[in-house]
Amino acid sequence: MLDTADARTGGRRQFRLRRPGPGTLVRAAVVTGLLLILLFAAPALLSAYYVDSMTQVAVYAMLAIGLGLLVGRVGLVSLGQIAVFAIGAWVTARLLFATSQPYPLVLLEAGASTMAVGTLVGLPALRLRGLYLALITLMLAGAFSIVLATTNFPNGGHGFLGYNGSSVHIPPIRRPSIATTDPAYFRYAVVVAALMFALVYAHIRTRPGRAWIAIRQSEPAAIAAGINTTLYKLWAFALASFITGVAGGIYAGAVHFLYSIDFPAQDSIILLAVVLMGGVYSMWGAIVAAFLLQLLPALLNDWGVSADWLTILFGVGVLQVLTTAPAGLVDQVPKDLARLGRLILRSTGPRHRQGVSEHDRG
Amino acid sequence: MPSWQDFQPFIVTGLALGGVYALSGVGLVVLYRATGVVYLAFGAVGAMGALIAWSVTNAHVQAWVGWLACLLFSGVVTLGYGMLFGPALSKRDPLVKATATLGLLLVLFGLMDLLWTTSGGQSRAITLPTDNSGFIIGQIQVTWTQVIGLAAGFAITAVTGAFLRYTKLGTAMRAMANDREITATLGVPVRRVEAAAWLGCGLLAGLAGLLLADMVALDATTLTFLVISSLAAALIGRLRSITLTLAAAIVIGLVQNLLVPIPSLSNYNDMTPFVLAATALLVLSRRRVIARSREET
Amino acid sequence: MIEVKDLTVRFGGVTSLDSMNVTFEPGTCGLIGPNGAGKTTFFNVLSGFVRPASGSVRAFGDDLLSVVHFRRARWGLRRTFQTEQAIEDLSVYDNVAIVHEHARQGGTARRRDVLDAISFAGLDVDPRAKVGTLGAGQRRLVELARAVVGRPKLVLLDEPAAGLPDEETRNLADVIGRIPSRTGALTILVDHDMSLVSACCQTTAVLDFGRLIASGPTAEVLRDEQVTRAYLGTADVT
Repeated sequence: MLDTADARTGGRRQFRLRRPGPGTLVRAAVVTGLLLILLFAAPALLSAYYVDSMTQVAVYAMLAIGLGLLVGRVGLVSLGQIAVFAIGAWVTARLLFATSQPYPLVLLEAGASTMAVGTLVGLPALRLRGLYLALITLMLAGAFSIVLATTNFPNGGHGFLGYNGSSVHIPPIRRPSIATTDPAYFRYAVVVAALMFALVYAHIRTRPGRAWIAIRQSEPAAIAAGINTTLYKLWAFALASFITGVAGGIYAGAVHFLYSIDFPAQDSIILLAVVLMGGVYSMWGAIVAAFLLQLLPALLNDWGVSADWLTILFGVGVLQVLTTAPAGLVDQVPKDLARLGRLILRSTGPRHRQGVSEHDRG
Repeated sequence: MPSWQDFQPFIVTGLALGGVYALSGVGLVVLYRATGVVYLAFGAVGAMGALIAWSVTNAHVQAWVGWLACLLFSGVVTLGYGMLFGPALSKRDPLVKATATLGLLLVLFGLMDLLWTTSGGQSRAITLPTDNSGFIIGQIQVTWTQVIGLAAGFAITAVTGAFLRYTKLGTAMRAMANDREITATLGVPVRRVEAAAWLGCGLLAGLAGLLLADMVALDATTLTFLVISSLAAALIGRLRSITLTLAAAIVIGLVQNLLVPIPSLSNYNDMTPFVLAATALLVLSRRRVIARSREET
Repeated sequence: MIEVKDLTVRFGGVTSLDSMNVTFEPGTCGLIGPNGAGKTTFFNVLSGFVRPASGSVRAFGDDLLSVVHFRRARWGLRRTFQTEQAIEDLSVYDNVAIVHEHARQGGTARRRDVLDAISFAGLDVDPRAKVGTLGAGQRRLVELARAVVGRPKLVLLDEPAAGLPDEETRNLADVIGRIPSRTGALTILVDHDMSLVSACCQTTAVLDFGRLIASGPTAEVLRDEQVTRAYLGTADVT
């Protein structure tokens, strides 16, 4: 397939039509290198506390790429991703307690359930304009959090909900047999996250990715080009929901015990804020976001600094990002350097692209 | 199924809460129409104002000083936000503007937890002098605070309606809702009108914060997210009609509270605003085919 | 041939198109009129973004209004917009290919069709270049390439030369004039630049307040008194 689409804003990569150019090879090498370090060196070098945090980083990287996909590629803001995350965790826990299915299968089923939920919500909701779509996801997430507070998470009990309110001894949620220890589970989480990223990458580089870019630029123009925008928007919703559900599944195995207070409403807002800060147009942005969301709090906690400072920082960060650099940190730094480079070489640079949604045409 | 008598007190609390939701909803609607911003930080601002009022009273200063501090804080912070970030975002999509207010929400949320932490298990409360006096209708006890809540809802709606229709500033706000650029070319001092809208909304946020802190709880998280109930009312009012917002707010307050005495539904009563707003949004969207591009000839 | 019968569009209290009746003959047709006359609204009806209150559009024997909007590209509809909509993050090639891809015009011939369209539009750039790096005139040409790729039946051009300097406008006029002969498509051109309209369109229709007030050979229409009055806005239009 003659595929020259590159979704990174401002990049000036030129690919040969058939062979991958030097840029792609370098990136592939970097990614592979990092993955190898994570899988083999990190668990040995880090303390148990940080292995745990890094597992959470893997989980939140999946959450971030899901939301980043929606916001950055399609221009849809969802304020309910934590609810989808919770559903994924719930389904995983229920299946793990009720059946003896292998872990990967359970993860797939969790992803499939959240995908179904996401599509069902998306069907009517996608007709709404950006702001109203965001608000309706906020409303639905709020409703869900109340239901969750009442139904709780499965804890080995019987019945559909699998919740036994009077249990004294609550069994932990099991892990895959090949990854029962924390370092092993960390590797497992990284592998699953890498697979999810690969799934997103495969989408971005092919037809759906280009269709999403067209839709983000201008929905009427996309329709005029023959793109079934409703279908592609639903597809993005379904994909993001699937990945978020799988993330919930990995989270369940990581923490062993699930409580509804682990999924507070403000986390959806913080997730959105940090994903915006990390950068929604690039997959690296999701990694940055995950580090901000999980590693930074762990570090602060270790140093005795309150996590509230982070909340404040994220608030300021999102304001800064939206008013000045809509593409986020990941895009801004290399762009500034590149612009400096071009100034030095005295050639004209590309037009700086502004805007999160198609209405932002200045 | 509970008896009529069991429901009665909840009618009162429902109406009182509905009134406060209404005054908040009206604030949200007017600000949206004047600036295009859905002020999601409304609850957070009111919450922090209420906590400030609590601190003032806790320091053994007169209560009314605390209330004044609350209103001042909410007004100033909201006005400050509007003047600092309003212009930078004025041409952006309403979605971007609303997301930016989430930034303010997070800053306030973090500050509140830092300054008035609840991790030690302490709970705080705000009491207003009107809590302890009231009257009896039939068999129901009604406090003056509750009366104030309901009355404030109606009063604010009526005053705002009159203001929008009959005053110069109000008419200017309505004009800006239609088109900011054109209004500016007509010589209307757009920035000043916006400032008035922001300030007014901020003051209402402070008032709502105090009343809700009294009626519900003085808890940062609860108060911050109670904005959703008011937002639900505003959405049902299409972010346009303040009378519809008032009606919706009263209904939300009533339904939310009337579900409490029903055992099987009691846990779910807080879902009321979410469900009603989501339904309203979906029903209202049915007629839309596609967002029109701005470039029509 | 496109037959528009009694097309009426209302937005709230405003009647944008008022029982519009017009027939477009094969070739390139101009559609002019003062601002607010309803030209872009008409295009939006053809694109499927706006549902008319009443009326019908028969295009090449098909009832166009009954086709779902995103399927009209497959039927053969192509369109450009007033504000340019070429996708900045994609290459020139991908911008044109995306239309070809979604209009289901056949995979094996895609590369050839896309490169043909790009050269037809007179774009002298590396097809792999990102549209974001191109100048305004070149982006308009990218849109034009999108409008002619594949097998279009009806090409709608909405102010394709807006914001372009004279020389590039002349270049554009030349390309537009060749569209019917290359693709067999009926082209409707909306523009305010009368020299562009005279240069490419054999016939022209004039809209004012949502109604057709003149149509016929371009030169005659442009001399018509009613048309001048509509543009200058004098009191009576008899």
